[in-house]
Amino acid sequence: MNSIEVKELHKTYAGALQPSLRGLSFTFPEGKVVGLLGPNGAGKTTTISILCGLVKADSGMVRILGEPQEAGRREAIKRIIGVVPQQIALFPQLTALENLTYFGNLYGFKGKPLKEKILSLLGMFGLEKAAGKEVGKFSGGMKRRTNIIAAILHEPRLLVLDEPTAGVDVQSRSMILQFLRRYNEQGNSVLYTSHLLEEAQQICEDVVIIDDGQLVVQGNPQALIHQHQHCRNLEDVFLHYTGHAVRD
Amino acid sequence: MLRTIATIRKEWLLLLRDKAGLALLFLMPVVLITVMAVIQDAPFKDYQEVKFDILTVDNDHGRLGRYIREGLGQSGQFNVIDSLDEKPLSEARAAQLIREGEYKISITIPKGSTGEIVSNANKIVNDISKRMGLPAQLPVKTLASDSLAVQLYFDPAAKKAFKSAIYQALDNFLTQVQTDLLLERIQLQLRRRDSTATDTFPAIRLKAVALKETALGHGRQIDVISNSVQHNVPAWSIFAMFFIVIPIAGNMIREREDGSLVRMKLIPGSYLSILAGKLLFFVGICVVQFYLMMLVGIYVMPLLDLPQLQLGVDHAAGLLTAASIGITATAYGIFIGTIFKTPNQALNFGAISIVILSAIGGIWIPLEVMPEKIQAVGRLSPLSWGLNAINDIYLRNGNIRYILPDITRLLACGLLLLCTAGWIEQRRAG
Repeated sequence: MNSIEVKELHKTYAGALQPSLRGLSFTFPEGKVVGLLGPNGAGKTTTISILCGLVKADSGMVRILGEPQEAGRREAIKRIIGVVPQQIALFPQLTALENLTYFGNLYGFKGKPLKEKILSLLGMFGLEKAAGKEVGKFSGGMKRRTNIIAAILHEPRLLVLDEPTAGVDVQSRSMILQFLRRYNEQGNSVLYTSHLLEEAQQICEDVVIIDDGQLVVQGNPQALIHQHQHCRNLEDVFLHYTGHAVRD
Repeated sequence: MLRTIATIRKEWLLLLRDKAGLALLFLMPVVLITVMAVIQDAPFKDYQEVKFDILTVDNDHGRLGRYIREGLGQSGQFNVIDSLDEKPLSEARAAQLIREGEYKISITIPKGSTGEIVSNANKIVNDISKRMGLPAQLPVKTLASDSLAVQLYFDPAAKKAFKSAIYQALDNFLTQVQTDLLLERIQLQLRRRDSTATDTFPAIRLKAVALKETALGHGRQIDVISNSVQHNVPAWSIFAMFFIVIPIAGNMIREREDGSLVRMKLIPGSYLSILAGKLLFFVGICVVQFYLMMLVGIYVMPLLDLPQLQLGVDHAAGLLTAASIGITATAYGIFIGTIFKTPNQALNFGAISIVILSAIGGIWIPLEVMPEKIQAVGRLSPLSWGLNAINDIYLRNGNIRYILPDITRLLACGLLLLCTAGWIEQRRAG
């Protein structure tokens, strides 16, 4: 089964001069770590928002683990997808435990099993001692790790991460990447966006490079590097396809 | 239900850790209603409760002068001052003191006023006697003065209503003196005609119909009606309840900015259950806030020599009104939090709009004293619906039936605001 199937996706926001997506299509099978890459304004955030059901596409088709992303099926998709937004989507005045308990309650979990699950996840991310500390007082890396825990409380089969390692130290980044590998090894799919192409090259089995709302290229990072003799790494491949012009 | 309860718990924890927010919701309104009730106490008091100094120059030294001085003194509204520095007041000195703003009013009773009134009464009695075939025996001045008048001087800053009250009081004394003297002259003439009944002749009583005020409703005291506490405590409490717009809008915008709103929307289940949790929490806060203010009205105001707040007889209706105001205020906060993108925009618009809605809605001064056109606009303000419902319960001893139209308006307005916010949010999602 495909983890994500996107066909001819079009989207123009109200009042926008240019469309954000112009017939974007890509597919990747279940159980893979895939990088969705592209320069600023390429349409990554719009694509993720449509995949999650936050934004409606003007036309085109989306399937998440076989479920069509349409009005009657959104709740089913929400149960199988976990999203880690780029912002730290937590309440800074609440402790890590209070934040995660709240989001766990929203998923319908409660009581001792929820608390045990949260403490186990906090331990996995090296945050067990910080459970009772307000998130606003956390370091950048601690916030990022707690942000990921909030997205996996319901054990989603597809985890979508929007720049999960932005602004964190080396140790936190290493821990996050290790977690993503482990999560993937358990048979789950991961869609990941980042501007850190070295990191993407390191953990992604497949990358989807988009620009100007369209698919530019899709494939295994190593295979793409080998296709172009002048490219030594994924960054070279990325620049080869998207050009050197600065994007705003 | 778990989602709603979890949201209430989350909002409670957030509020507990927001010391400034707690002060804004509970401490500031207590200070506000106390200050407003104290400073507006004097304008709300009847003239019977406030004593004005009145300079009195009595050049008459007769019955009119005595009547006016005694009448003013007995009314309880005035302190009659007829001498300063142990010297009798002159008209010129009184006028000077008024000009200098030292006093607000002076009256001068001209020389010969009583004689003029007696002469006029005698003339009337003589006329009547003549028509009845009796001899005209009472003395009448040959040259009556047409220009004799009690002279009044007012501070130029005196209000029209104040002047009018003084005019009415003095006019009343003048009429009373003239009537008394006329009746006295008639009695005198009648005694002369029937000399055998001199000692037993009954006094003529002019006043046949009196005025009497009766309170409406059960156990209602007339003097409870619209004093400073009775107006200011509920009115400013409603104003403070609407200020919940600021924390709600700020909270919603922060949730949107930091992505937690997106996270909540990505979790399966209706967002409405989360919104319901927010709504219930903030409505609960509004109700607690309202009753805290009422407790201040009941227990703190008397300590400041102000009247105690009366809550009427139907407490369920009071609770329903407080909850309805809370729903509308919370819905307005959600609406503001939805339409504005930054906390600064929401804070400025929210605060200014509440001040305007409260000013036109009769919170600052009762709607009835405003110009007719402003009253018509003011009746569209949700704050005026809330205040009117509270007045129905607290002042008119009303029950749920009395407040139903205002409650319906408040709830309909709240629903409209929530639906509009929902529609805007949906449009924004594309």
